[in-house]
Amino acid sequence: MLRIIWKRVTSAFLVLFAASFFTFFLSRIVPNDPALAYIGGKTTAADEQKVRSLLGLDQPLPIQYFKYLRDMLKGNWGYSLSTKQPVLSEILKRLPATLELIFFAVGFALVVGIICGIIAAKKPKGFASSFIRIAAIAGISVPAFWLGLLLQLLFVGKFHIFPATGEFDIDIKFTNPIHHITGFPLFDSLITGNFTALTSGLKHMVLPALTLSAYSFGLITRMSRGNLLEVLGQEYINVARANGISERLILFKLALKNAIPPVITVTGLSTAYLITGTFFVEQVYGWPGIGGFAANSLISVDYPAIMGITILGAVGYLVINFLVDVIYAKLDPRVKL
Amino acid sequence: MKMKSSSTSSRKTFALISSIVLGATVITVPQIASGATPVSVFKVATSAAVTTWDPIQSFSTEAFYMPNIYEPLLWKNPDGSATEYTPGLASSWTHSTDGKTWTFKIRSGATFHDGSAVTAAAVKASFEESQKDGGAGFIWGPVNTFAAPSADTLVMNLAYSAPMDLIASSTYGAWVISPKALAAGIANSKYYDSGIDGGSGPYTIKSYSAGSEVVLSAYPGYWGSKPTYQIVDALITPDAVTAQQMMTSGQVDWSTTIPLTSIADLKHSGKYAINVYKSPFNYVGYFNTLRAPLNNPKVRAALSMAIPYTDIVKIGGQGYGTQAHGPVPAGIYPFDPSIPQYKKQLATAKALLAKLGVKNLSLKITYASENPAEARFVPLIASAFASIGIKADVQGILFNQQWAAAKKDPANAQDIFIVKYWPTYSDAGVDNLWSLFHSSTKPFFNLSYWKNSTYDNLVDDAAVLSGSDKVAAAKMYSQAMNILYTEAPGIYLYDEAQVTVVPRRLSVPKYNINYPFTAFFAGIKLAS
Repeated sequence: MLRIIWKRVTSAFLVLFAASFFTFFLSRIVPNDPALAYIGGKTTAADEQKVRSLLGLDQPLPIQYFKYLRDMLKGNWGYSLSTKQPVLSEILKRLPATLELIFFAVGFALVVGIICGIIAAKKPKGFASSFIRIAAIAGISVPAFWLGLLLQLLFVGKFHIFPATGEFDIDIKFTNPIHHITGFPLFDSLITGNFTALTSGLKHMVLPALTLSAYSFGLITRMSRGNLLEVLGQEYINVARANGISERLILFKLALKNAIPPVITVTGLSTAYLITGTFFVEQVYGWPGIGGFAANSLISVDYPAIMGITILGAVGYLVINFLVDVIYAKLDPRVKL
Repeated sequence: MKMKSSSTSSRKTFALISSIVLGATVITVPQIASGATPVSVFKVATSAAVTTWDPIQSFSTEAFYMPNIYEPLLWKNPDGSATEYTPGLASSWTHSTDGKTWTFKIRSGATFHDGSAVTAAAVKASFEESQKDGGAGFIWGPVNTFAAPSADTLVMNLAYSAPMDLIASSTYGAWVISPKALAAGIANSKYYDSGIDGGSGPYTIKSYSAGSEVVLSAYPGYWGSKPTYQIVDALITPDAVTAQQMMTSGQVDWSTTIPLTSIADLKHSGKYAINVYKSPFNYVGYFNTLRAPLNNPKVRAALSMAIPYTDIVKIGGQGYGTQAHGPVPAGIYPFDPSIPQYKKQLATAKALLAKLGVKNLSLKITYASENPAEARFVPLIASAFASIGIKADVQGILFNQQWAAAKKDPANAQDIFIVKYWPTYSDAGVDNLWSLFHSSTKPFFNLSYWKNSTYDNLVDDAAVLSGSDKVAAAKMYSQAMNILYTEAPGIYLYDEAQVTVVPRRLSVPKYNINYPFTAFFAGIKLAS
């Protein structure tokens, strides 16, 4: 076990080093002047030179990269060119909002996706099955930003059911401010009994979570349906049927257990995909998380922020992959870590 | 048996989670009664991000907030107002007949947000620091020394005459800062980053979340009229469509960012007042005068005749704008409506180019991709060029990238550089005319790389003369602008109009062209 953990950690460091190396040099060879990005609006030649020196941009690139790595290991991820705040604190400040959004999106995709997969597999030629298949394909193929704008147009602009943007109603911070305990705003509003904030937060969560979950929902539904159909055609299921076991028991106790492990893999991979999916969704819904910060950083070529987000994304992928392997091994005894 | 045990385990887990949640709810934090708004809050969606809160360094879109937090000595009123200036922290001012000595009397009773009094010494220290190290410190270029002979008197001694009333009302570089904050900002360049201020204006920064929100609260010790709203919550919303939806759905009271393409629909709804004002924003296209055949003024003039000016205003500005008379926008000194304009004459342009022997011309046009107006109108230029046999390679890139590439290697840079420009303070003679087209050894804002000593002398002399004789200076500026027309180092596209969309239930102060990025929150109230 220790050997496996050691191997994983070593490969993780290699992946992170490669991610930092390529991101640093790619973001620096594009024709852009970080000093101008830092200054922002109009400037003078003297100020430009002063900032270039302040940011160490007057040094050769390999030295800049070495210094970046050294500082990063000490917890100094540099300063965002656009917000002027430390990148690490900017990321940590926004992370809970993104994790809550991903949690709801994955939860929705997993629960609804598996249920839809079961319904579609139960009567593969029925109307419901066809409808679910179309919905799943739409979920996979429709771009998140387009779906986000469409849902906004319908449920905000037309029916006025949900709010357009943000994580909570704006008044909440003045009337029912959230007392932060864990840093996760929805969870904190729940555990502190701030139900006004909780209700507001859940209302704000619906559209972004739905939008973000569309891709995972499509994948999980298709995977659940396909696996279930395959398992339901196997010999041990026929034997169970011949022994008079009810269809309900066959489906939920015998077939589902064997059909689920690949769904977990897909869920894990699509969760990792959601990290980048939040770039668009948070931008559309003004969600105060990492995604919107990442999108703005990319647009403004804020390379210290891009570096930080890339490294965080890489860590996210590694952790999720590791968790998926562990869960898979737990669910399927044939699989060893 | 195994199934049963698994089910029991799930129930136990559920029970455990429920207990934790219920237990935790016992640690209930006292809440303000639901729905009770403790103070009056004004919610606004804006695209204005904050580049810096440092009033000395400020030179960007934070100008949306700054005039609510800080004050200059004077406020410049828009054209047509009863007086040219409204006193700010100066209650009166005079200048010597030669325009080289200016004396400002400092308002009594004004205090900074830290409670200290606004004095002439504080004003002097602020301006000296701005002049020495400010983002727009060059505005104090004419000043030799600042002096504070008494607590309420500030004297500016100039090297040459200059309109110090105008300069002291600048939206950049002219803020008066509390001595405590000024010292802290000098000692630590990151002092202001978390949203600290040292102003004396009607609002102070309550909280700041970089890139997402600015909350201002009314300063109880403000010397002027008290604002209607105690709190202003500005939500930074880069996407104009989202900002519009926030306003129309009632999530915010007002949005200062509305896509021009939506104006007609909002007007039609009847719920919003649409106001159109002159703005200081002007679109220019620089020709790269270092490269043949664009080094020939006649070629540049011919190309200027191929530009579809009317369509550019119609599509780029959605009809909210007018063709420019040179690089000085209408409404800003020294605008001159008699400066001639090129008109779209494709046949003439084509014939002229043929006469000049220009064949198979291919031009690279760069524009700032983050500017939606440029993204709309630059293809029109390419299309017009194509109709007379000129191939245009249009490249939309970030302004920082566009600017960096243009400064790095002028000879191999773009052929046409599209830029949106505005003056630092309301004098486009010392700014637009100087910055955009005055000769420079190293290119900075003059990205046409054009050099003309007659033009340089006119602009330099007019800048000095404007301190004592604005009318005579304006005549010299007009001569310079006529040179810009005939030599055509740039294409003078259009002056952008400012459109505000205000819910009819609100009364919002009129747009002030001299503070083009600013919403003055203190004057906002419910319409009677």
